[in-house]
Amino acid sequence: MSKTSILEIKNLVTSFDTENGRIRAVDDVSFNVKKGATLGIVGESGCGKSVTAFSIMRLLPQPSGVIEQGKILFDDMDIVRLPADKMHEIRGNRISIIFQEPMTALNPVYRIGKQLGEVFTLHFPEMTDAEIHSESVNLLHKVGMPEPDKRLTEYPHQISGGMRQRVMISMALACKPDILIADEPTTALDVTIQAQVLELITRLQRETGMSVIFITHDLGVIAEMCDDVVVMYAGKIAEKAPVEELFKNPGHPYTRGLLSSIPRLENPGKIKLSIIKGMVPSLYELPDGCRFQNRCPDAEDICKTRIPEMKKVGDNHFAACHFPGKIPSPAFKPLQANDLKVDPPVNKTRESENFLTVSHLKMHFPIYGGIFRRKVGNVYAVDDVSLTIKSSETVGLVGESGCGKTTLGRTIVRLYKPTDGNIYFGRKNITRLRQKELRDYRRNMQMIFQDPFESLNSRHTVGDILEEPFIIHNVGTPDERKEEVKTLLYKVGLPEHAATRFPHEFSGGQRQRIGIARAIALKPDLIICDEPVSALDVSIQSQILNLLMDLQKEMNLSYLFIAHDLAVVKHISDRIAVMYLGKIVEFTDADTIYKKPLHPYTRALISAIPIPDPCIKGEKQVLTGDVPSPVNPPAGCSFHTRCPVAIDKCRSEQPLLLPVPGTAGTEHLVSCHLV
Amino acid sequence: MMNLNPLTLKKINRFKSIKRGYYSFIIFILMIGISLFAELIVNKRAIVVKHEGTYYFPTYGDMIPGTKFGLDYDYETDYRKLKTYFKKQRKGNWILMPAVPYDAFENDLRVDQYPPFPPSIKDRHFLGTDTVGRDIVARLVYGFRYAIFFSLILLAVNYTIGVSIGSAMGFQGGKFDLFFQRIVEIWSNVPFLYVIIIISSIVVPSFFMLIVIMSFFGWMSMTWTMRTITYKEKAREYVLAARAMGASTSRIIFRHIIPNTVAIIVTFAPFSISGGIVSLTSLDYLGFGLPPPTPSWGELLHQGWSNMDAWWIAGSVVVAMVVTLLTVTFIGEAVREAFDPKMHTTYE
Repeated sequence: MSKTSILEIKNLVTSFDTENGRIRAVDDVSFNVKKGATLGIVGESGCGKSVTAFSIMRLLPQPSGVIEQGKILFDDMDIVRLPADKMHEIRGNRISIIFQEPMTALNPVYRIGKQLGEVFTLHFPEMTDAEIHSESVNLLHKVGMPEPDKRLTEYPHQISGGMRQRVMISMALACKPDILIADEPTTALDVTIQAQVLELITRLQRETGMSVIFITHDLGVIAEMCDDVVVMYAGKIAEKAPVEELFKNPGHPYTRGLLSSIPRLENPGKIKLSIIKGMVPSLYELPDGCRFQNRCPDAEDICKTRIPEMKKVGDNHFAACHFPGKIPSPAFKPLQANDLKVDPPVNKTRESENFLTVSHLKMHFPIYGGIFRRKVGNVYAVDDVSLTIKSSETVGLVGESGCGKTTLGRTIVRLYKPTDGNIYFGRKNITRLRQKELRDYRRNMQMIFQDPFESLNSRHTVGDILEEPFIIHNVGTPDERKEEVKTLLYKVGLPEHAATRFPHEFSGGQRQRIGIARAIALKPDLIICDEPVSALDVSIQSQILNLLMDLQKEMNLSYLFIAHDLAVVKHISDRIAVMYLGKIVEFTDADTIYKKPLHPYTRALISAIPIPDPCIKGEKQVLTGDVPSPVNPPAGCSFHTRCPVAIDKCRSEQPLLLPVPGTAGTEHLVSCHLV
Repeated sequence: MMNLNPLTLKKINRFKSIKRGYYSFIIFILMIGISLFAELIVNKRAIVVKHEGTYYFPTYGDMIPGTKFGLDYDYETDYRKLKTYFKKQRKGNWILMPAVPYDAFENDLRVDQYPPFPPSIKDRHFLGTDTVGRDIVARLVYGFRYAIFFSLILLAVNYTIGVSIGSAMGFQGGKFDLFFQRIVEIWSNVPFLYVIIIISSIVVPSFFMLIVIMSFFGWMSMTWTMRTITYKEKAREYVLAARAMGASTSRIIFRHIIPNTVAIIVTFAPFSISGGIVSLTSLDYLGFGLPPPTPSWGELLHQGWSNMDAWWIAGSVVVAMVVTLLTVTFIGEAVREAFDPKMHTTYE
């Protein structure tokens, strides 16, 4: 073992016994982790990233998970062959792990102090209670937790997701580990909170000199955090390289595909993203030869028969490809100037028509409490929102979770009954229509949901699902409906025989296509897309975004596109509304938002997005704290508690959403006293 | 066309792979099958009679008077005697009797002997007779038929009521839910055994009467489960999607929510069946069940209890109970495991 590396993985093979036989989730993986450095593992879901991490911790489900071959050398010990009690000493002590879901990784029935103290009692039995307490306070202080003393006596549900992730990190760091494994630690968090956590990990690493294994699917995070990168695909390593080298000179076509399929803020919107066609092969039916062959634009005959070996591309840069570093095919070429021509907007004449107008919409949910279930307060989920959508236009809606985006979307299609305000669809006020009268309007407004696994009824075939809108609205005869279903499937790029199959036989991306097909079935005018791509992998995300844009052009659809990812929203939208605590704080066209953001919240959102380029390490403006509770929104400007430039006026007086002076021609609305 | 969901198919295959449950299932189906066609196996009527060149199949249909076979009486033929008579005649007439040539109601009385008679292969009383000389095999088989159909019908009635009310509670929520919760709680506290005792002291309960009474007190258990699942299901996005499409409430409940709860309902069913069998048996044991002389296991159990020296009575009914309940329970276990295959995962 060389001096510089602290962990060495050699030919690791981890398998799972499943009902359909044994699968190799990690197949012949080797890499080194350098002392004090950060190694990133990137890849789509199902590529074996997490299993690799769990193999290092030997946290595999028993009896189905087995490490079949290979060595994991840590400090001259082979973790694979270590007895269980020795392993307990390493786990949590020398190698620690933080998990993706901070909501479930803490035990809800124990106070935070107790859970944090457990680490000490396990590994340092000689510590007294007082020592444990002071050490815990120290730790929480170190991870930037406000009022650590008070937090120790609280339960996990009393603190926010970002705070819980801080607790997890402090627990992982309690024993000053040599290696910290972070398994998608920020995926469940908002960008602003993600920026806080990433900064924290970097700072702690600098202070303690530990090594970090950072697992993520987000190339932006990789670029920001890591020194070396391992790209995994279908259980195998596709490429490993130092981070600058990887981004500058990707050797494997998969890496090139990933890099070119992410929407970037700096690109102009509404252009087609280059995509990686198809999806990750199932581990049950792996092809012979290269596992990427069916999606690779450069695949040749040899790729179908021979598994590529790791080939040297540059210094410390290896790629498992028969033609590493080959001139990339046009499919994955970086965008050229002439690709960037934006299509002229369709239907100029209709553009000025506001066909959906939302004015002063309020949606408050009452909270009941006490013995007599009296109303004790309101959740101000949507509070005085005004918005217009023009025909064949996409309006993006961004904001952190809990700011009321989804509620706004659902209120517009009248899944909720608004508390106050008006919604005009065309000229008709639909705010107070009854369910029966609403039914006709439902044909014109549809929704696409976030979770493609949840939003399709698993008991119905895809054909049933797509036929349902026609049945509900009494359209056509059964034969005509069948025909319509076929056309719909064709439109969203699914095979005809999909109609007789069930949703769970499809992957996430395909299911989202089914959801889109259902939404466009009755040829609506407006579709509310509620985070339609946030549950999908990068390569699938770009496919769906392209599909949505194609359909818009073809069917003259308008979208209200709700997402928390500003880069995605910016890519697809004409205009963007930024929402914070139930209110719109800035509303203007997509380019202006990116080039000239005026509200401090918008600026913070933009700067928090990790940029997938390691050479740009810009100044970050990291927001402190969390979104306040919508039950008691702060007085004055609701953003003043986190605003870096707040003045006294902000604390007392609520700013109005007003046009920015001096922006003639383009409409730019901001609600800030300082603009 | 019934398009079987591959997930369901997978569950069925998983069920088949759990051998204990699968074999229990086969045995159980066989038992039901046998009890359905019990007339061909356990009956005092013959299966086939050949008399003077014509074939008779007396098992189903009207009774055939003795005169038809050249006997000197007008009432129903006694086929066991006819058999010996034919044998003596030696005229090529023959008769095929079921394996157990007795039915559940007839008393096989003999001169100078008092029942219960012990098991005897010669007499074709394979498990002996009860205290009034009725064949125990016949009582068991026909008793099983009553018990199993009783609990199947009871299950259907209970689940129909329970599922409808439970899903309505879950879906409506609010005051409706609160109201029915209290109703169900009060209802479950009514001591139903006393009510049945009171009712059956006024009227003699018939088969369907008993089902009505039992379901009157049995529908509650399903409501709790259904209420909870419906609460969970209705918050899921596919319900929202259906509503955004304009689907009506009844369509959402019947087309969307209930099909998604079938898996859970099915896992409860076997246990309800065994519960039904047990409750009918215990009512019969106490004498408040089906009126005599209906063949019933509870009544046999009661006889066995008061005639311990006739060990074959208690012995056979206890064995029959154990086998039946065991198979049903094994089926239930296997169904549960097949539907909810959380593997027994541990971490070192």
